[in-house]
Amino acid sequence: MLRDRSPVHGLERRRLGAVDVLAASVSGAAPSAAMAAVPVIVAASAAGATLWSFVVATVLALLIAGCIARFTRRMAAPGGLYALTAKGLAPGAALACGIALLTGYGLLAAAALAGVSAYVDALLGRLGLTDGRWVPFGVAVLVGGVVALLALRGVRLAARVVLLVESVAITVLVVVFALLLVGGPIPGPGSGVASPGLGGVAAGVLPALAAFIGFEIATTLGAEARRPFRTVPRAVGITAAVAGVLYLFAAHVQVVGFADTPGGLAGEAEPVLVLATARGWAWVPVVLDLGLIMSFLACALATTTALVRVLFSLSRDGVGPAALGRTHRRFRTPHVALAVAMPVVVAALAVPVALGVPLGAVLVTLLTLATSGFLVAYLLVCVAAPVFLHRIGELTWTAVAATAVIAPILVVVLVAFVAQRPILVAVLGVIVVLGVGWWAWLRWRRPAALGGIGVYDETVAADVVGGRIGATEPRARP
Amino acid sequence: MTGPAPLSGRQPKAVRSALAVLEEVVAAGPGVTAKEISAALKLPQATTYRLLNLLVAEEYLVRLPDLKGFELGRRAARLAVPVVTAPPTAARAVVEHLRGLVRWGVHLASFRTGQVVIVDPDPDHPPSDGALLARYPQVSALGRLLLAEQPDWHALVREERAFTAHTTRAADLDLAAVAAAGLARQCGELRADRGCLAVPVRAPSDGTLAAGLAIAGPPHRIAEPNDEIVALLRDHADRLAPLLA
Repeated sequence: MLRDRSPVHGLERRRLGAVDVLAASVSGAAPSAAMAAVPVIVAASAAGATLWSFVVATVLALLIAGCIARFTRRMAAPGGLYALTAKGLAPGAALACGIALLTGYGLLAAAALAGVSAYVDALLGRLGLTDGRWVPFGVAVLVGGVVALLALRGVRLAARVVLLVESVAITVLVVVFALLLVGGPIPGPGSGVASPGLGGVAAGVLPALAAFIGFEIATTLGAEARRPFRTVPRAVGITAAVAGVLYLFAAHVQVVGFADTPGGLAGEAEPVLVLATARGWAWVPVVLDLGLIMSFLACALATTTALVRVLFSLSRDGVGPAALGRTHRRFRTPHVALAVAMPVVVAALAVPVALGVPLGAVLVTLLTLATSGFLVAYLLVCVAAPVFLHRIGELTWTAVAATAVIAPILVVVLVAFVAQRPILVAVLGVIVVLGVGWWAWLRWRRPAALGGIGVYDETVAADVVGGRIGATEPRARP
Repeated sequence: MTGPAPLSGRQPKAVRSALAVLEEVVAAGPGVTAKEISAALKLPQATTYRLLNLLVAEEYLVRLPDLKGFELGRRAARLAVPVVTAPPTAARAVVEHLRGLVRWGVHLASFRTGQVVIVDPDPDHPPSDGALLARYPQVSALGRLLLAEQPDWHALVREERAFTAHTTRAADLDLAAVAAAGLARQCGELRADRGCLAVPVRAPSDGTLAAGLAIAGPPHRIAEPNDEIVALLRDHADRLAPLLA
């Protein structure tokens, strides 16, 4: 009745501490990068109601975290959201979630590498060194190699690096923003920002919610976390809350800073730099660049760690190539999946850069595509939550209510997000076609594997008090 | 965040309910579902689910692979006082045989509970108090056999105490030598007038430490090499192995 070893054997089971797991999720969301970049994007839609858009987005993120927690309090899966979805919805939906996650993590990792390259480039530019397309290209390849090496050398090392780097980045950003806040608004004739109404708040929620993507990365460390049923749901919930508070703080600083400027925050292109320059703080841009490089580096490492675990899980499920499910004997990480995924991630960024596409445009496109992947995965896992609870006989009305609120909102957000960007329709169309093809092939060649999709870290014989199972017959189900 | 949160003791009802849930899982057997537990204890369903998730998070309970059924987790085993079974008659006969060959006290101890428990004390030469042996494994020869077997033996040494002028401090113990030789010794460290030699009894199948066979005598005599006596001890330990494993 119980297996002797977990279906996800090979990973370093039950070793990561609570803080390491939390650090993975926080780095995935990369709040420091979003603090600098996102408020101005939100302000473009929400104008005077920027803060409200962030409040709504934070509530949505907490609701999503709640839906995820209904699974993670009960099961631990290195496949993350797709393995959770599989326990509630049909195999096809779980596979769709898996594809969405691969898209999301893969492109977010590429975007994070692009972020590192962009800010290294900017830093070199400030120091007077000439920038060109080959500097970002070289940085991307080099950093990609370092990230791959750290991700290979064991989950604990990667987690420690992520924790250290992200803590420094957040501290730097919070200190800089606090200094900017103390300075008060830039003098001006008065802004007269119009109240945008409910529609503006809603439009601002889209980019604000996109600032949270990656906050669920802790789910992919379930099998490797100590006490996973406590640490994983906490890590995801705390990340949503902490990121929300940081975003509100950052948005507040920037809104206050431009309170007396015509057009307000929405009229600015680089608000943080303008605020710093207005006070004559030439050191702020350099410090910010360093902080953002670190944040993007941590994000790249955390998302790569998650990406290879999703690949590993799909492979252990029998729906992907078996080789990707192998783990390194000593480091206990999915090294084959890493060796396959990392070149693709680096290429997603390095090839367009080498072809002369501006780095900023590459970064934005990668982030946009990744966000749509995450939104699909969130939608599926939120819909799956009450179905899963019903299946195991533990349904509560709060679970139904949470999904009833969040699922329609996510549908609207997703449709609005995709409809705004024609390039998304094209790329997502290709991914959907490939996905349907994969699903059809599985239905034809591997129906059993597809039916059993969603491998997770099951209870094994060594986890229970000796002897009762196996000595006694399993109870008859009513 | 890693340590357990301090219990304020202000939620007596929650604690009572959690214990009742544990008891119900034991009573109903493996595979009992949340709904069944809720019905049996007449607890509100949401409360039951919360308590179950808490007990699973703390690893007192585990969910079975269907995710519906529950069973006691390994941590729950730590709530029960381990029971020591008396050695079989054949094993007692082996120990009695050894007592006939030597003039000192011969004791047999079980390590099955993770502590030193004397299961066959020499009636003519009573051993030291059982509570002392269990509490201070670092000062007895039998306890040192047990410690030498642990990956982290410091966890088993809860308290230091100098019983005599000869008591070795835990930090100065050479347990690697004990493990290598398969022989532990103490001379007047627990009682000034007594020394002790002990050898392990290992399960023939997998070599796990099951018990210890000890001989107690005057400390200055125990300190001698005693090659003949050690050979006798090892010979009888080999005979005990299939009977105790």
